[in-house]
Formats: sequence, C-alpha cells, structure tokens
Amino acid sequence: MNGQMGQGIELARRTFLGKLGLGLGTAALASFGPVQAGGLADPLAPKKPHFVPKAKRVIHLFMTGAPSQLELFDPKPALTAMEGKPLPASVIKGQRYAFIRPDAAVMGPRFKFKKHGHSGAVLSEILPHTATIADELCIIRSMKTEQFNHAPAQLFLQTGFSQPGRPSIGSWALYGLGCETKNLPAFIVLSTGAGISGGSALWSSGFMPSVYSGTRLRNSGDPILHVGNPPGVDARLQRETLDLAGKLNQRRLALDGDPETASRIAAYEMAFRLQTSAPELLDFSDESKTTMEEYGCDPKQPSFARGCLMARRMIERGVRMVTIYNEGWDAHSDVVGNHQGNALKTDRACAALIRDLKSRGLLEDTLVIWGGEFGRTPMVESNPSLGRTQGRDHHPQAFTMWMAGGGIRSGMTYGATDDLGFHVVEKPVEIYDLQATILHLLGFNHERLTFAHAGRDFRLTDVHGKVIHDILA
Amino acid sequence: MEQMPSCQQRPLAMNFVPLFPLLFGIFPEAPPPDFTSEVRPLLAKFCFKCHGPDDATRKGGLRLDLYSSATGPAKSGQRALVPNHPEQSEIIRRLLDEGSERMPPESTKLVLNQKQKDTLHRWIASGGEYRPHWSFVSPKPIKPPLVKESSWVKTPLDSFILAKLAAKAMAPAKPADPRTLIRRLSYDLIGLPPDPLWVAEFVKNPNDQAYERFVDKLLADPRYGERWARPWLDLARYADTNGYEKDRTRSIWPWRDWVVRSLNADMPFDKFTILQLAGDMIPGAGLDGAIATGFHRNTMLNEEGGIDPLEFRFHAMTDRVATTGTTWLGLTLGCAQCHSHKYDPVNHSEYYQIMAFLDNTDETNVELLSDDQRIQKARVLSEVGRLESGLSKAFPGDFSKALDSFVSKEKPMAKAWDISVPVRATSNEPKLRIQKSGAILADGDTTKNDLYEISFGPHTGGVTAFRLEALPDPDLPAGGPGMTWYEGPLGDFFLSEFAVEWDGAPVKFIRTSQTFANAWLGSGSSDASRAIDRDLQTGWATNGKQGSRSVAVFVPEKPLPPAKSWTVRMNFGRHYSASLGHFRISTTREPGNVEARQTPHWAEAALLAWPNPEPSDRQELISHFCQVAPELEKERKRIIDLKKSIPQGHKTMVMRERPADNPRLTRIRHRGEFLSPKNAVAPGLPGFLPGLSNNHNSNRLGFAQWLVSRDNPLTGRVLVNRHWAAFMGQGIVRTVDDFGLQGELPSHPELLDWLANQFVHDGWSVKKLHRLLVTSAVYRQSSTARPELALLDSDNRLFGRGPRHRLDAEMIRDGALEAAGILSKKQGGPGVFPPQPTSITTEGTYGALAWVPSTGEDRFRRTLYTFAKRTAPFAMAQAFDAPSGEACTARRDRSNTPLQALHLLNDPAQLEASRALADLLIKTSPKREFRLTMAFERILSRPPDPEEASLLFNFVVARQKEFQSNPVQALALLGKSAKDTPSDDLISEKAAWTSVARLLFNLDETLVKR
Repeated sequence: MNGQMGQGIELARRTFLGKLGLGLGTAALASFGPVQAGGLADPLAPKKPHFVPKAKRVIHLFMTGAPSQLELFDPKPALTAMEGKPLPASVIKGQRYAFIRPDAAVMGPRFKFKKHGHSGAVLSEILPHTATIADELCIIRSMKTEQFNHAPAQLFLQTGFSQPGRPSIGSWALYGLGCETKNLPAFIVLSTGAGISGGSALWSSGFMPSVYSGTRLRNSGDPILHVGNPPGVDARLQRETLDLAGKLNQRRLALDGDPETASRIAAYEMAFRLQTSAPELLDFSDESKTTMEEYGCDPKQPSFARGCLMARRMIERGVRMVTIYNEGWDAHSDVVGNHQGNALKTDRACAALIRDLKSRGLLEDTLVIWGGEFGRTPMVESNPSLGRTQGRDHHPQAFTMWMAGGGIRSGMTYGATDDLGFHVVEKPVEIYDLQATILHLLGFNHERLTFAHAGRDFRLTDVHGKVIHDILA
Repeated sequence: MEQMPSCQQRPLAMNFVPLFPLLFGIFPEAPPPDFTSEVRPLLAKFCFKCHGPDDATRKGGLRLDLYSSATGPAKSGQRALVPNHPEQSEIIRRLLDEGSERMPPESTKLVLNQKQKDTLHRWIASGGEYRPHWSFVSPKPIKPPLVKESSWVKTPLDSFILAKLAAKAMAPAKPADPRTLIRRLSYDLIGLPPDPLWVAEFVKNPNDQAYERFVDKLLADPRYGERWARPWLDLARYADTNGYEKDRTRSIWPWRDWVVRSLNADMPFDKFTILQLAGDMIPGAGLDGAIATGFHRNTMLNEEGGIDPLEFRFHAMTDRVATTGTTWLGLTLGCAQCHSHKYDPVNHSEYYQIMAFLDNTDETNVELLSDDQRIQKARVLSEVGRLESGLSKAFPGDFSKALDSFVSKEKPMAKAWDISVPVRATSNEPKLRIQKSGAILADGDTTKNDLYEISFGPHTGGVTAFRLEALPDPDLPAGGPGMTWYEGPLGDFFLSEFAVEWDGAPVKFIRTSQTFANAWLGSGSSDASRAIDRDLQTGWATNGKQGSRSVAVFVPEKPLPPAKSWTVRMNFGRHYSASLGHFRISTTREPGNVEARQTPHWAEAALLAWPNPEPSDRQELISHFCQVAPELEKERKRIIDLKKSIPQGHKTMVMRERPADNPRLTRIRHRGEFLSPKNAVAPGLPGFLPGLSNNHNSNRLGFAQWLVSRDNPLTGRVLVNRHWAAFMGQGIVRTVDDFGLQGELPSHPELLDWLANQFVHDGWSVKKLHRLLVTSAVYRQSSTARPELALLDSDNRLFGRGPRHRLDAEMIRDGALEAAGILSKKQGGPGVFPPQPTSITTEGTYGALAWVPSTGEDRFRRTLYTFAKRTAPFAMAQAFDAPSGEACTARRDRSNTPLQALHLLNDPAQLEASRALADLLIKTSPKREFRLTMAFERILSRPPDPEEASLLFNFVVARQKEFQSNPVQALALLGKSAKDTPSDDLISEKAAWTSVARLLFNLDETLVKR
C-alpha cells in the first residue's frame, strides 16, 4: 500500500515537472492573447468548429446610426405618390417611435435607383462604387430587429441581447475557434466615424473570460494601448528589461512551480512581439499607389477607407474578426445631406475592399457584412420644435444589409418589403437569423455553441434563430 | 469533470463491501448512491429541462424534481418512480429503451453512460428517496471533526480541512514563510503591500501572537474599508455614469463612501443589507439610511433620445432582481424572467413576486450637506427672510405713496380669476392629487405621452378665458414645475396640447398668451399657441424658469355660457417624458383682451379689491410690488446674490418607498417582454424557501429583513463562501454566484455550514469572519506547488496549499503607488482622473468625456476612487479584468495577457511610480545594496537573494553607463526637459534606478498574491 502511494507520488512529481517544462515550451508558442501554461488549456488555442466552415474570418462594416434603406437599397415609388399624407393606421399598428408620432407624413425616396451588373441589383445613385461590385453581393431587404433605440439595437445585433453584459459575436467566434495569429489580437475593433452609442459592451466578452474580448485599435496615439515604448525607453532597454525580468521570473518558476509564471513569461514575450507587429500593420509603405487610390485612402489620416485597408491587412495576418464602426448615419434632420456625405466616405472603400479581397483570393473564405442596427421610417421626421425638416426616424420593422464572400451566394437580392417599405412581406430575416447564419458560415451549429454561465447554457441566439440557407452559396 | 466526493460521511466499512461479492464471483451490490451528489445532478442534467419546475416546457405532466410527482401517475398513467422497484419504474424502462421511447429523446443529443444509468437504477432500488437541495435547507449545528494532527489546527475550520486531507492520506502544506505570509495578509486585508517596518518586526519573532497583532492592526486600518468596498461595488455594478449611449455623469459616490465607512465600522452584515435595500423605510435611519439605498440605484439609465423610460425602468428592475439573487441568495433568478426556471424551483410568476418586493419605489436624489453647510444655509436663509420682509422698509422714499401709484396703474389691468377646483383628475400614468388650493400635484411615473384629464363640476358664470398656472414645488426635480428627471432638463415640462370640453362640446381657442416660453433643443416657437395647434410635436414649455411660476392664457372664440360640467385635457411629452408636476386652472368672465400676467393670483385679487383687500391679499400685493418696484432693484440684487451663497451639497441617488395610496403594480411580463404585461402580482417568496414570518411585512423592508434572517438558508452560506473565495483563491462552492441545482456542490459542506453558523453567531461581523479566515492554518500554508498534489488535487479543491493567484487590478496599481511612496491617503469624494490616454473616453465613444488628468494627490488616489465610466472604463483596470459596472459581478476573471504586459511596461502613468521609487531609493541611501534591498522590501516584502542582487547590480551599472552616454534618453525617462538638469551624474543614476524599479514592477512575483 505504502509502496503504491510512493509510486503515485513519484509519478505525480514527474508529470508535474514534465508539465512545467512542456508548459514553458507551449506557452512560448501559444497564440496571442491569453497565455496559459502548465497543465491548463490555452483558451485561445485554435479549435475546430462543428463542421467545415465556409468563412474563416469576418469583416463587419457596421454602419451605426442606421442608414436609410429607402435612400440606398429599397426604392418605394408608392411613397412618392403618397408624399405628405400619413400612413394608414392599419400599417403602423402599435409601433413606438423615438421621435416622430406614428401619424407623421410619408416621404418618398430622395435618390434615383438603377439596376446594376448581371444580377440586376437595384442600387441608389449615391452608391456608384458599390454598383461596380453588385454581382458579388447578397442584398437582404428583409432585415428586422426588435429594438428601436441605437444602443440597445447595436447591442442586440452584436450580442443577441439589448442590454450590456453578454458576449459579442466576435467573442463567440474566438471562444469557438480560438486564434491563429501569434502576433496580433484575433478580434479587432475600429471606430472611424462619430462616437458609438453602444460603447465597449459591443465588443466585450460579457460573462465569458475576458480574453475573448475585442481589442480596440485606436486612431490617435498608440494604435493598441501602450504598444509603444514610453519616453526614455528604447528597444534595447526594453529588451534588456524583458531579458532580466524573464530570468528572474524563471527562477521564481523553479522555486514556486506555478504554471501561471510560465504563462506570464510568455505573455511578456508576446507583448514584445506585438510592439513590432502593430506598427508593421499600420505601415502602409508596402501598399501600391494603385491600392491606395482604389480605397481612396490617405495613410496618415484615420478614415473609413483606411480602416477597410487595415482590415484587409489584419485578416492577411491571421486576425479572425474585424469590426469597423462607422457611426454617423442617424439622419433625423436631413436624410439627403447626411446620406450623400456618408456615401462619399464609405462607398468607394467598400467596393475596393471587396475587389481587393477577391483579387487576393481572400474573398471566398472571408465574410463581409455591411449594415446598420435598424432602418429608417418611410415617414418624414419633421419637427419644428427640434428644427428638423427632411429626416427619417428609427425604423425597426424593415431594413437592408448586404453580405459578400465567405460562403454567401453572390448576385442575389433576398426578401422584400411592402409597397410602403414599412413591413417585411417576404422572407423576413430576424437578427437572430443573421447571427445563426454568420455562426453557420464559421462552422457552428448556433444551437450547440453554448457557454455555461449563471446556471444555464447561454447561446448567442438565445432560443431563437434559423440559418438562412437560401443565401448560402 | 471529476465527480466530487460525496458530502455524506459513509461508514468506512462500506467501502469494502464490494470486495466480497467480487471474491465470490457475485455481481457486486454497490451501496446506494447519494441523492445530493450523485442522483440529482443526473436528473438535473438529463431530465429537468422537460420534467422540471418550468410548466411551460413540461412534458407529459411529469416533474422529476418533486418526489410526489415522480411517484404519482403521469399523464400516461405510468409511474416514473416506484420506490424499491426499478423494474416497475418508467424512468428505468425509458432509459433502457433502444427505440423511439428512449429518454432523454434522441433530439436532445443527451446520452447517459452505463455508470449513470446504473446510479439511477441503484437509487430507485434502494428506495428512490429524495432529499431537498442542500442549500435550500438551513445549516444545522455542526461540530468540527476530531483530527489526529491537532497541533496543526489553529482555528476550528482547520479541522474540517485537515480531516478531508487526512481521508485522502494527504498532509497540509508547510506554513508560508513569514514575509510571504505578511504580504499575502496585507494585500488581502488592505489591498496594499505591508509597510516594510511591519515586515521587519514580524520576521524578528513570527509567532502566532505577533501575527494576530498584525491581523488586528490591519483590520482596524481605514484602508481596510477601501479594499473590501471593491468586491461589493462589483456586485452592486457601481459606476459614475449612467451607461448606454449618452452615458452621462451621475453622482452616487456618496453611496460608495458609505460602503467604505460601513465596512470600516464593521457594520453587521444584516444591518448593512437592510439599510441598502430599505434604508428609507427604517424610522430614524435618516440621511445615512437614504444614502445606503444607492445600492439598487446603481442600475443603468438609458438617456438616449426617444427611449421609452418605463421600458428601461423595467430593465433596471430585472437587473435588481438578478443582482439581489446573485448577491444574497446565490441564485440565478434572472433565468425566470422569461419562463419558469429550468432547474431551480423558481417559477415565472414567483420571479415577478420577488420583483414586486423591490418595485414600489420612486427614484430620486438627496442633497448632502455637511454640518457647516447646514449651519451656513440656515444662516443665509434667515438673512434672506429678514431682507425680504424688510424690503418695504428699505424703500427709498414714501412706500405707501409708491404702492398707491403702483396700484392705480395696475388696477385697470387686473382681472378677476376664479380658481376652479376639479372634482376629478386622472391620467394614463402619474397620480394627480387635487390640493385644497385647487392646484394639482402629480407624482409617480411619467411617460413620453401623458394625457391628463381634469374634470370640473358646474360652472355658473360663463367663461371668457382659461388660465393655466405652472407652479413650482420643492419636491419636483429642480423645484418644478415639470416632472422631467432625466433625458431632458430637470423640472422641464412640454404641454403639447391644451383642450377644453364645455358641456361635452370642444372649445375652439383663437388666442393665447404666456408670461414666458422657451423649449430645450430646437429653434422653433414654444409659446402657448403651440399647445392649441393640434400638432403633438409642438407645445408650450418654460425651460429656464425652473423653480418659478409661469402662466398661459387660452381665449375661446366666443364667451362660453354657464355649463353643467367641463373637462380640461392636456397632452405632455416630447422625445422624453415632460409632464407638469404642479399646476392650477382658473377661469375669468372678464370681457376684453385677457392676457397672461406675472402678478400672483392673490395679489391680483388685492388689486381688484383695493382699497379694501383682505389683509393676506394685501400682503401678497406688497410682496409682489417689492419684487417688481424699480426702486428696490439694488436691495433685490443683494438678496439674489445672497441666495447664491447658499451652500450646495453633493447629491446622491436614492430610493424612496412610494406613498401608500399610489403603489406601483408589478405585472408578470409574458416571456419577460416589457410590451407583454399580464396580471399583477403581490410580493412573495418562491415556494421552496421558507416564507416571511409574521414579524416581516410583505414589502421591501420585510424582504430585506428576511434575507438576513435565520429563516433564509442561503444568505449566510453565500456570504461566507464569497469571502472564503477571496482569501483562499476559490470558494468552497466554486460557483460563488450559483448555489442552485446547476451550481457546483460544496467541497466541504460541513465547513461551509459551520462558517455560516459561526458568522451569524458572531453577529454577522465581517471583520470577525475575516479574522477567523486569516488566522486559520489553512490560510497560512505555503502556496508553493506540491508535486504530490499535482496529480491528486491539481485544482487545490482540498486546500492542501495556500492561495496563489494574480492580484486584482486595483491592488496592482495601488500597490505600485504605495511601494513608490506616492499613494494618497485621502479617502472619499467624487471620482478622480488618474492619467491615461485621452482617446479612451473620447474616441469612438458617443458620450465622450474629456479625461483631464487630476493633479496633485488626486493623481495618485486609490483606484477605487477612479472615475468609472461605463461605456469606456479606466483602461488599466479593464485590462486586468475589473468590471465595467454594466452587470453584477460576483467573481472576476484572472486573465494573463500581453495587453496587461503592455500596460505595466509602457503606460507612462506606471512610469511615474518607477520614477518616484527611484527618487526615494536615491534619497534614502547612497549604497546600491541598501537601495536594492529597499526596493525589494517595498515591492516584494523581502530582500533580494544574492543571485538576484548580482543580476540587478550588473543591470544598474550597465544602465547607468548607458544613460551617462545618452543623457537625452535619461531625461526622457525621467519626464524632464533638458533645462532642469542639475548634474549628469544624478540624471543617469536616477534613470538607471527608474529602470530597475520599472523592471521590478513587472515581475511575476510582484503581480501575484502568493
């Protein structure tokens, strides 16, 4: 009996030490982000999804503020005919609005529309560049959401819940897939417009471990917080500091035997690598002049166009999830001026991104998503007490998004709204359906991708969601 | 996952029973499985989803969480469980079925393995007994077990740990060395490294008495409350902004300071609980009682333009229920918001009954005045009163002559107004109360679209004009007259339509006038004519005149004859709710051009009756005259200026129980949706818990008292477990936020119950609990890895070694500032702004906040006091897993990431600590040995060992040489410009030691409690 126990302990000792040695080795090679060593699993180690994915990465061009489908994708001549009259009460039902009264007058679309490409996709005149990639797109005209205020609707789209606290879809992807890059965070967030309503909860990991959170890439100062050395610290001092700290940490590891120490040594090494890879990501000198012109981007100026180019550079470097928040579409006062301005900032770069991805062979396994958190009303927002005349209010019942690449059927327009653009009448796509479809493209059955928290298994799609198979390639 | 050992102590001999049948070749008759640890987890995992507490998803009318249902006939007529007869039990038949009747069904993808099936079989064979879930039964009195190695035992709790270790033939770890222990203790009790002098003193004679002296010293240290407030703030989702899009600043830090004070005073946890949930309802609790109710005011407030305020109030309520569940009950109540709980016996309507306990509140603010301020305020107010009553005497010249001439000028313009006293006043939401004066005061909730309906009886005289007076009131936000309390300006109102029905017929208005008109936002007109234009988007508003009276007059097309009855209807609201809180309606029969006048009602009456007005009316008129007479302008200015010197206290957000005649109805919401209200429910506790006893009222206060009563089996256990986890690294129940059926079972159930009993016995004293925990031998063990444990207990579930984990964000930052000697000792007050890149709170954030770094000692305050912005949290703390204040957090993550390394290596704010420490070292001694030892002792509470010392000396020498040849770099590191260089030598020396300090602040050992 004693002998057996002794053997057990000896075995334990050897396993333990083995794990430590192994821990150091694997930790040093482990993915970016969380570092775990010893016997503990790396929460970001690459994992296989439920089935072979069509999309390996996602670029989400989140047009926050909510663009008007009626000015961009979903022309409604019937509205022009009714201009100035209120909508029938039977259409409006009990819908609550943020600013307007439900009996506000109708306002017809403000721009001309034309068919484009072989697919005959209908697009507004203010999207001339998007028109050139029309055949790559799947335009979904039948999007619906449950929320009619910005922050809750953005949170709902990103986390499946209208209040902060749940993991974002990017976090779900990292949780399910892990991370391929050793040099950059796998889930990166950019903001290229005005301030974002939903705040950092939009890319938070919620109740999941914080390593699944998105990392903000900043427009001013260090792109990643403190990725640059502080004043007075040059590369040599940094290296010497890390070398000596590493040596002292190794001694501590040998004395105390805590695998977390090995993880920390590796984390510091990764931080050092990131100090090189982050500036390299932002160094556009290896991009051709043609590319820069295609995107319409000034490498020195933060812009949506620069963000799109950066997104391509990121996914080339193994980043899995990129979200670009381009806030500013909230056209309460002047939908014409607002949308012309926003189209000018975004249209060209969106088209360039799709073409660029395609020419590099990346489009087929990169999913690109374009859209806002809800749509805008067919009714005018005109409020003398607020000085508003030709705006549109928030409209959750119907809006348009497009997707491209990564397993999406191209050259297709999906779903339809009624003649007034008020309700979806064909093939409604709920936010949960969109989420289920994105997870499906990433290789997951959205009903089986669960995380245990507070006594139950949570899903991004809660108890809802169906994959929209009709839009899959 | 490894199944935890059973909680039940089984007779040792039982373990040998299976051996005999094996020897004789007979199938072993294994002992009956333990229901709590073996059977129920299987039922919960495989069965409860369809056969559990949720009646919406229940199949076949069968509940397997209840003995009565399991043993009774199901819809099919079969009995799921026939005690002692597995062969007759439907459960077993369906488990073994290979075809379409298999349970759990194919679609669930749940499959039981042979061992699990066998467990259920044996359970039924042995009687199929049910036991209530362990945590739902009150802890019984327990004695610590007797143990052999009693010399190791320092507190009763050690016996529990030792007994279990001994049962696994394991010994506890050796004690931690004194320096490590004292550093651990100091971080645990005050969140900071120990003073090196204390360490030196303790090391000289590290006996139990000396240790306990340190424990008591730290428990009495005012910094104790600052350290322990933090986990409570995590639970309370504390922040200094409202959250969501606008994310504006709020003032609730006085509640945070109340927590610190209460913890320092060791306020018993039962009192601490009752005050925070219902301090406003306790007679005599005073202002402190009100401040304490900030706990549940920490919910977020959505001020985005156009939201539905009651919808977001409902979301705040669901947060309050979930937070209460996590914090006190260890239950995941949030699960029952949409449907009955799938696992725990909380059904959908019981969820709303718990909500009803907490729902009946008005959410308001109180002003906090210091004693000095209170005295000053009283002094100013009495002076103001004296000056105002003396105005007529201060009149330059003959007052009565001036008054006479005023009256003769005004009298012709005066109109006789009759105050109409309503017979009824109703609205869609606010409660309208008719005052004796005829005015109406509103309270309760408001919506963006409120409709007031004010009914009057017979009108005998006929009417030529209607007057609406919007009146101030001290209980309204900003003194009224409006009820707007967020999203728009405080005290604002927006009258979008004013309509009168005269004997059933609508009155057409042709003319309006007002004393003042101004609307917040927008450029359009907001005069009273906008309230009769039938456009609900326009209206009359008086923003800017909060705290004073404004008047609007509405003139009908034709004079109206007498009427039997009449009604006034008023619509209020914009994209935010903006209803009138205090107002009065009058009519006049006067012919001619009737216009709105600033003259108060009773002063107007005095004018008309002049020269023989009622004495009180005469006084009104004199007061009015004194307010408008140009001759008194200088005196009035003096009063206005004096009023400006009334001290303004800080505000804090509080709860106030609603008046008894206007309770808030709590409704069940179908599928948890705000827009699907169902029937109203009364406050009540879930059926599985012992109900309120007779001495608890069925309200918020009664609920709070019940939470900390002996009737409640959960709170004591949940509380001691959370504190155990904070000290020992993990809970006895590792799911510190879930004591329900899906939570993990306790590793040491008897210990948990013993601690819970002891905690109550000690008068709910948290300090006594902490003292007990840190004086235990368990806590004092070395945390060094033990190879023999790596295999047997790699997770340290048996607590066979001391705790070891990364320090919290606050401890890392505060610890560095403390080691550098620059941590401020200042306690309390509004949030401060330690330096961080401005882009964190401005770039890409809708509710941008200019983060202007604090100066002076506020730059180096404890991180607890850092301004907490929900949508863009303090970056350093967020990188180290501090929560954002958006959800209740019972357990922080302890991640280990390169982003953390970047913060500690490169954050210029972190560099300030390194420079300060270098300064201190250089100032203290010229000797590098002394300096290095001092740095180690301040950061790590120990001297360097020889190898460390030699490596670091080499570093400092090489660095100093380097900096000598590159003084520009040295100056940059020290944050200095070229002109303030005293001598190159000192600069390079400082830079070299700054580099050393920076290195030490980045060591693993620095960041770890070990």
